[in-house]
Amino acid sequence: MSENEVLRAILSPAFLASVLRVTTPILLAALGGLVSELAGVINIALEGIMLTAAFVGVVISAYTQSAWAGLAAALAASAILALGLAFLHLELKADLILTGLAFNLLASGGTVFALYSLTGDKGTSAKLASRVMPTVDVPLLEAVPILGPVLNHHNVMVYAAFLMVGVIALLLYHTPWGIHVRAVGAHPEAAASVGLNVRALRYQALLLSGLLAGLGGAYMSMGYLQIFQRDMTAGRGFIALAAVFMGGRHPLGTMLAALLFGAADTLASQLGNLRIPPQWVQMIPYVATVMALAVYAIVQQAAARRYL
Amino acid sequence: MPFVEMRGITKVYPNGVVANDRVNFEVEAGEVHALIGENGAGKTTLMKILYGLERPDAGEIRVRGATVQIRSPLDAIRLGIGMVHQNLLLIPEFTVTENILLGMEPRRWGLWDRPAAVRTVRAMIERYGWKIDPEARVANLSVGARQRVEILKALCRGVDLLILDEPTALLTPQETHELFRSIRDLVREGKTVIFITHKLREVKAIGDRVTVMRQGRVVGTLPAAEASEEQLVAWMLGRWVSTTREHPPARPGPLVLSVEGLSYINEEGRQILRNVSFEIRAGEILGIAGVEGNGQSELVEILAGLRRPTAGEIWLNGQRLPPGNPRRIRQAGLAHIPEDRLRNGVALSLSIAENLIADRYFNPSFSRGGWLDRGAIRRHASALMRAFDIRAPDPEVPVGALSGGNIQRVILARELSQGPLLLLAAQPTRGLDVGATEAVHQLLLQQRSQGAAILLVSSDLSELQELSDRLAVMHNGEIVALFPDPRQISEEEIGLYMLGLKRQPLINGKMEAGRL
Amino acid sequence: MLTGEAMEASRIQRLRRYQAWLEVARPLTTVIAALGVGFLVTLLVSSRPLQAYIALLTGPVSTPARLGTWIEDATGLIWLGLAFAIVFQARQFSLLAEGQLHLGALVAGIVALRMPLPGVLHLIVALGSAACVGSLYGLIPGVLKAYLGVSELVASLMLNVIAQRFYELLLTYWLKPPGAGYNWTDPFPLTATLGALIPGTRINMGLPLALAGTVLAWLLLYRSTLGYELRVVGANPEFAHYAGIPLRRTILIAMVVSGIPAGLAGAYLAAGIHQRLILNISLGLGFEGIVVALLARNNPALVPFAALLYSYLRIGGDIMERTAAVGSDLVRLIQATIILFLTAEALFEIFRRRVFRREDLHVGK
Repeated sequence: MSENEVLRAILSPAFLASVLRVTTPILLAALGGLVSELAGVINIALEGIMLTAAFVGVVISAYTQSAWAGLAAALAASAILALGLAFLHLELKADLILTGLAFNLLASGGTVFALYSLTGDKGTSAKLASRVMPTVDVPLLEAVPILGPVLNHHNVMVYAAFLMVGVIALLLYHTPWGIHVRAVGAHPEAAASVGLNVRALRYQALLLSGLLAGLGGAYMSMGYLQIFQRDMTAGRGFIALAAVFMGGRHPLGTMLAALLFGAADTLASQLGNLRIPPQWVQMIPYVATVMALAVYAIVQQAAARRYL
Repeated sequence: MPFVEMRGITKVYPNGVVANDRVNFEVEAGEVHALIGENGAGKTTLMKILYGLERPDAGEIRVRGATVQIRSPLDAIRLGIGMVHQNLLLIPEFTVTENILLGMEPRRWGLWDRPAAVRTVRAMIERYGWKIDPEARVANLSVGARQRVEILKALCRGVDLLILDEPTALLTPQETHELFRSIRDLVREGKTVIFITHKLREVKAIGDRVTVMRQGRVVGTLPAAEASEEQLVAWMLGRWVSTTREHPPARPGPLVLSVEGLSYINEEGRQILRNVSFEIRAGEILGIAGVEGNGQSELVEILAGLRRPTAGEIWLNGQRLPPGNPRRIRQAGLAHIPEDRLRNGVALSLSIAENLIADRYFNPSFSRGGWLDRGAIRRHASALMRAFDIRAPDPEVPVGALSGGNIQRVILARELSQGPLLLLAAQPTRGLDVGATEAVHQLLLQQRSQGAAILLVSSDLSELQELSDRLAVMHNGEIVALFPDPRQISEEEIGLYMLGLKRQPLINGKMEAGRL
Repeated sequence: MLTGEAMEASRIQRLRRYQAWLEVARPLTTVIAALGVGFLVTLLVSSRPLQAYIALLTGPVSTPARLGTWIEDATGLIWLGLAFAIVFQARQFSLLAEGQLHLGALVAGIVALRMPLPGVLHLIVALGSAACVGSLYGLIPGVLKAYLGVSELVASLMLNVIAQRFYELLLTYWLKPPGAGYNWTDPFPLTATLGALIPGTRINMGLPLALAGTVLAWLLLYRSTLGYELRVVGANPEFAHYAGIPLRRTILIAMVVSGIPAGLAGAYLAAGIHQRLILNISLGLGFEGIVVALLARNNPALVPFAALLYSYLRIGGDIMERTAAVGSDLVRLIQATIILFLTAEALFEIFRRRVFRREDLHVGK
C-alpha cells in the first residue's frame, strides 16, 4: 500500500471506530485505576482482575447461555478479587504493590488452569459456546456530522465505557462520596479528623476500581473478541495505570490518554502494511508517559526548591 | 456546673512516657481558658483525649454534668467539642468550602450542592468579618487564612467548645491580633474556648482563667488577671535541682563557628529563623534555651547540612561552609548528635559496627580501593564499645535490638570519637535515665576540655545552666538573649526570655553582651 | 550493674537466635503453606490429586534430563534474583529487570549473529555487552528517580515495555533470516553460546557464571564501600543523608549495577538456553525474579537456593501437567500464594512484637 492509501485508511471511519473499540478496555481499567489512585491505594492488580473477569464471563455465559449472566459473574469475580486485595493490604498490612503483582500472577495462572481443567484446552476457550454482549444501533448518532458512522454500531460496552467517564467524573467531583474518597487519598489524617472512615472508603474505592476493571475485562472476551485467550489482557492493566498518570489523575485526562494508547495500538496494526514496523508506534504512548512524568517532576521541583 | 470536667485523667504511652498523670481539669461555659506548659507537659495529649483522638487509660470526662465516652472525633463533635490542631489538617488541593464542609456536605438529589455549600460558608465568613474567598484553593491561602478555615471547620459543626492548639504559632502579630478579636466574638456568642499556648503574654491578653501543666500534672489554676508572670513561669518550669559539680572555667580558644544572618523559611512559607547570628569558640559550650518549636531544631539541622537556609552564612574554622552538604561539613570537623535519634541517628537494621562507620567508611583506615577492611571496622567497633560503654555481646548485633540508652551511646561513640571541632548536641539526654544523663554530661565536658566548640540545644534548663559557658535564648526564630554567665541568672529570668516576655536590646545590631 | 547487663546480653542473644530462625523458617513455612493451598486446589480439579502432586514434588529429580532442566531454569532465575536483590537492598522499587533482560538478550544476539569474533572472545563480548546495556538502561529510571523524584515503579514498568518492543522490532526486522515466515533467528554460532558444562545434559556454563555472579554480588553488597552505601540508604535514607552518604548517587548506582545481572539474564536465555533469539524469550521471567529475591530476603547468598526452590516448582508443574493432566498453571497459583504470604507482614508482626522490645526505643516527645 502506498503512503497515501495508508493515510486515507487511518483517517477512515473504520479506523476511528476501531480506535474506540480498542480504547474501551483500557479506558475502563484506567478509570478503575484512577479511582483507586485518588483514594491513595493504587490498584496494581487491574491486569489480573481484567483477565479473571474475561475468563469468568466467558465460562458463565457459556454455561448459562446468557451474556448478561456472564457479565454479572465477571463483576462478582472482580469484586471478590478487589475486596481480597483490599483486605490483605488494609487489614494484614501487606505491601500494596507486591500483593497486586501476586494477584496478577494468580489470575494469569488461575485462569489458564481453570480453562484447562474445564475444557482441556490451554490456549483458548474456543470449545465453549460463550455469548457476547450485544451491539447497539443508535440511529440518532448517525446524524452527527462527520463522526456519525464512527460513533454508531458499537458494542454496548463501548458506549458504557465512554459514558463511564462522565459518570466517574460526576461521582468524584459532584458527590459527597467522591469528595470523601479524594480527601482520603490526599490527606488521610485530615479526613479522619472530621470523622470520615478512611478504611471503609478505601475498601469502597478498591471495590469500584475492581468492578470497572472487570467491565473492561468482560468486554475483551465478550465483545471485542468472542473467546478467552490465555493472558489476553496483554498488559492493558498496566497501560491503564500509565494512562492515569499521563492524564494527570483526572477523568478527562485519563480518557484522552487512554485514547492515545488505543490509537497507537490500532495504528500499529495498520502500519504493518507499510514498511514501518508497528513496534515504533506501540512504543509511543510509553515513551510519552515517561517524558510526561519527567516534565511533571521538573515543573514540581522548580516550584518548590527548598529541601535537599 | 462546669461545661467540661475531666477527672483523674491518666495516659501512659506504650514507650513508658506518662503524658497525663491523674489530671483534673475543668472549663466553665463562656470562658476563654488558657492551658499552658512546656512541651511534653501533657497539654496536647489532654486535649486530644477530650477530642477523641486518644483514649485515656483512666479517668472520666463529664460534659454538661453527664459522664460521656469520647471514642472518636465524631463523638466529640456530637458533644459540641471541636479542635483546631497545631498542624492544620486541611487538604491543600480542595477549596475552602470543600474543606470546611468535609463530611457534612449539603446534598441535592444525591449530588453535592455546591452553590448551597458556598452560600453557607460565605455567610459564616461574613459573620466573623473575615475576608476569605470560599472558592479559593486552600493551597493558595496564607497561613493565617488557613487557620481561620480550620476554625470555621470546627464552628460549622455546631461546636460550643473550641480547642485551639498553639494557634498563634503560625501567625504574624497582626494575624494574632485578628485571631483574638475573633475569639472574643465567639465568646460573645456564647462559645467556650480552650487555648493551648506557651506564650505567657497571650494568656494575659485573651484568657479568663489559666491552668498550668508540668510533666503530666496540673500544677494549678487561677484567674488570668490574678496570675503574675513570675508565678506562671515558676509553675511552668518547676524547681531546679542544683548540682554541686563544678567544672573548670572556660578558656575559650580561637573562633570555630561563626553564624551570620541566618534566616530560614520552611515549605509552608513560615519564617522559622530570623537573622540569627552568633559565634562559638574552641573549648566552650554555647547553650541554646527555648521552648521547642522556636527554631532551635531547624537551626541545628541547617548547621549540620540537613537543610538549606534561605539566607545567611556559616563559617567553620575560617572556611565558608557549603549549605546542605553533610559530608563536606562533617569533613570540615562537624559532629552532630541528632534530636530524633531513631530517624536520623542510626539505621536500626544494620549492626553496631556498620552504624559506627557511617561517616568515615571511606577513610583509608576502613576501606581501600572500594573494599571494606572488616578487621579494622570490627576493631574500631570493639574499641568504641569499650570506651563508650555500649552494652552488647558483639559488634555485629543489629542496633535495633539495643535499648534506648545503648542506642544513644552508639550515636555518641560515633560522633565523639573523632574529636570534632564543632559538636552539635540536640536534646542529647532526652529520655535517658539519671545515670545515662550523667555520662553524657561527662562526655560533653570532656570534649570541651579537648578544645571542641559545642552547641547544646536542650529543653532542660538545669542541664543548660550546668553545662553552658554562655547561654542564648531563642524565641520565635530569633536570639532574644545571650548570657555570658548562665549561673548568674535565675531560672525565672531565663523563662521570661523563653516565653517572649523580655528581650535584650541589640547593640549595633548585634548582641554584644555575648561576645567575650 | 552486672545483673542488668547479663539480662540485656541474654535478651539480645534470644533476639538473635529468633531472628536467625526466622530467616529460614519464614520462607519455608511460606512455601509449605502455599503448597498446601495448591494441594487443596488440586483435590478439586483432578481425579488423581495425589499422583499429580507427587509428580509436582518429585518430578524434577526423577530423571537426569529433568534435573538438568531444573538447574538450567534456576540459573536464569539466579541472575534475576540477584538483580532484584541489589536494587531492593537500596529500597528502590525498580522492576526494570524484565526490560534489561530483553535488551541484554538482544545485544547478545547482535554480537552473536552480526559480529564474528574468534573463539572465546565472541562469547565474552556478547556477555559483556549484555551486561553493559543492562546497566546503561538502568540509568534512565535511576536519573529520573534520583534527580527528579519520579517514581521508579511507574518509570520502570513503562521502560520495560519499550525495551520489549524494541527487542521485537530488531528481531523481526533485522536479525531474523530475511524473508523468513517465522519469528526467530538462526542459531547462534557456537563461539557465542554457553557450552555444556556436563556433556550430555542441559547444564551449561551459565551455571558457574551465575554462581560467580552470586559471589560477586555478595561481595559487592557486604564487602565493598559501594555496597555499604547502598545498604545504609536502603536501611534508613535519612540516616544515610545525615551521615553524609550521597543519596542521589547511591540510588543511581543501585539501579545501574542491578542492570548487570539483569542484562546477563537475557544473554543467558539467548546464548545459553535457546541459543537463538525468539519472540517470547522471557515469558514474564523478569517478574518471577522478584519472588526469588523476596524468598532470599534480598541476600545474594540465599538467591541460588531460592532460585532452585522456585524453579523446582516451575519444572515440577510442567511435569505434573504432562503426566497427570493437571495444568502447570497451578504452579502460578502456588507462586502467587507465596508472595501473598511473604508480604502479609502482619502475620509475622505478632511474633515479632513479643521478642523485639521496642518500647524503650521511642524516647518521649
